[in-house]
Amino acid sequence: MGLIEEVFTIELPVGESFRIQRCRYEDKKSTKRISIVSGIHGDELEGQYVCFLLGQWLRNNPDKIRGIIDIYPAINSLGLDSITRSIPFYDVDLNRIFPGSKNDFLPAQIADGVVNVMRGSDLAIDIHSSNIFLREIPQVRIAKSQEGVLVPLANLLNIDFVWVHDAVTVLESTFAHAMNTIGTKTLVVEMGVGMRLGKAYGQQLLDGLLNLMVHEGILDSEPLDVRFPMQSHEGEVAYLNAACPGLFVPVIEHCQIIEKGSVVGHIVSALSGEVMDEVIAPMGGMLFTIRAYPIVYEGSLLGRIFGEKQ
Amino acid sequence: MRRFDIVTLESPNRAPLRIEGFLFGDEKSKGPSVAIIGAMSGDHINQLYVASGLVEYLRTKEEEGKIIGRILVVPAVNAYALNMGEKNWPLDKTDLNMMFPGYAQGETTQRIASRLFETLKGYDYGIILEGRRDQGMCLPYVKLIQSGYEDLECVKDLGMGFVHYRPHEPVETAMLQYNWQLWETKAFSIVFGKNGSIDQTISDEVHTAIVRFLSKRSILDFHVFEGRKSNILDPNRITVIKASRAGIFISKVTCGSPIKKGEVVGVIMDALSGEKLEKMLSPCEGIVTCQYSHPLIFQNSIAFRIASVELCCQIEIKNK
Repeated sequence: MGLIEEVFTIELPVGESFRIQRCRYEDKKSTKRISIVSGIHGDELEGQYVCFLLGQWLRNNPDKIRGIIDIYPAINSLGLDSITRSIPFYDVDLNRIFPGSKNDFLPAQIADGVVNVMRGSDLAIDIHSSNIFLREIPQVRIAKSQEGVLVPLANLLNIDFVWVHDAVTVLESTFAHAMNTIGTKTLVVEMGVGMRLGKAYGQQLLDGLLNLMVHEGILDSEPLDVRFPMQSHEGEVAYLNAACPGLFVPVIEHCQIIEKGSVVGHIVSALSGEVMDEVIAPMGGMLFTIRAYPIVYEGSLLGRIFGEKQ
Repeated sequence: MRRFDIVTLESPNRAPLRIEGFLFGDEKSKGPSVAIIGAMSGDHINQLYVASGLVEYLRTKEEEGKIIGRILVVPAVNAYALNMGEKNWPLDKTDLNMMFPGYAQGETTQRIASRLFETLKGYDYGIILEGRRDQGMCLPYVKLIQSGYEDLECVKDLGMGFVHYRPHEPVETAMLQYNWQLWETKAFSIVFGKNGSIDQTISDEVHTAIVRFLSKRSILDFHVFEGRKSNILDPNRITVIKASRAGIFISKVTCGSPIKKGEVVGVIMDALSGEKLEKMLSPCEGIVTCQYSHPLIFQNSIAFRIASVELCCQIEIKNK
């Protein structure tokens, strides 16, 4: 059974404390450490389910542990319990203020506290669920500068897609960047959709986490037979953005292989009964992102296709 | 004055979003040009108030023939949020001031930023009226981030007491000031007030500072009294007084108050028992530049920021 600890607390004004808890599973023979993190965004719940599944597995298999496995299911605990993506009260996205500071406002202090609690971990897995607008296949996103170190680890995670993207300065304010900067190899997983959980994706990522920990020597077990993910450098990503406002009604399911020119969905007007636009696939490939929230403005992301380079 | 739509965006169910601009002066004028941006967030009411007040002021000055250069005022960028008490873009909660320079083929707020930015490019000066990102209120100050293209000299013409001059943070590379500077507009922000409210005294001070700037930069043919000599501060050297406990926060001073070392500046009471939990003392002599403004305070929140001459030394930077 894991040791549950409060690792960061701040008093709230009226008879309550903000807290971050972790559950630590430990084998004293090794200090190799991994941190499993979820709930940086309060509307993303897939990670909570993965934390549950991992905790359940570890409780049933304590003899396999060869290091320290820390599970942090709820970083933005105020947000998770109130369906709030950002830090309530301040309305600030926690994942845009890392590494934080002790001498700044509360969200920055939380970020600083998170970094300090996890400092020294060899690995960290930050599990996100996209947001409430988009449904994603299990994937890991990696900045190009970290490609060499992180892609081999991501390939062990039983995910479907490894997306290496160009460096974006604003992403230097994320948890993953802050941790990678201080030497903790940190992977960002995106899967599912906000405010919901998918049992199949949870189980898929659990297998990946166990496999990664076996390879890293944190679990003494047989490697799992995991899928090898599509690699972004082998193809290209096409974005489907709404051409007009309305109600997006998809006609195909998520995670389907589609042909160039096929209809992905329609944007319709609830007022006039008109079909305002037909959303056509600009290239063939896998529809790895699809919009889950139907209301769209011009520009709203409707989907992403991964296919062969044009 | 020409009133026109800079951006219009259809909505699924609401009336279209309109970002309106008010243009003063001859559009063919060879004089200097400035664009002034008001509320980018739905809680920047004071910024909206100052910007719309400038529109009215400049309208009368234009009638008097006093506009030499070209002035664009954009009072409200995010009217959708202002109209429903939201801070950010109401659908996806993105911050419009984190979307610059924008992307014409991107997501909705990237497109809005892109269309707005197309209009803002090419102005000689850019003034952004900003609110705070925390629950604080502050003395008006100029925020000038170091992008490599900033102009420290021009901001002194505002005659404001404090200029915060510091390196940019990673998140600021997606903000208007940074990108505007990169496109060679001498852009800076004036940060003031308390979000969601209007302070008349502070509004008047900011209004006067902008008029002074327009006058000194030969955009407006109108003379105003000299302002203050600007103190150039490294914000990291401002003394911070934090709340060691959470509870009901009672401030004993106001922004701008000169305070002595050891002076009581605030009190925190237990919100349930009423017990006095903390008496906050100033560790130094100086001026209160910022204070927490919500009556409920979190533990470790910054309650006060104190600028003292000893710590906030003048920064001598050769203007680029």
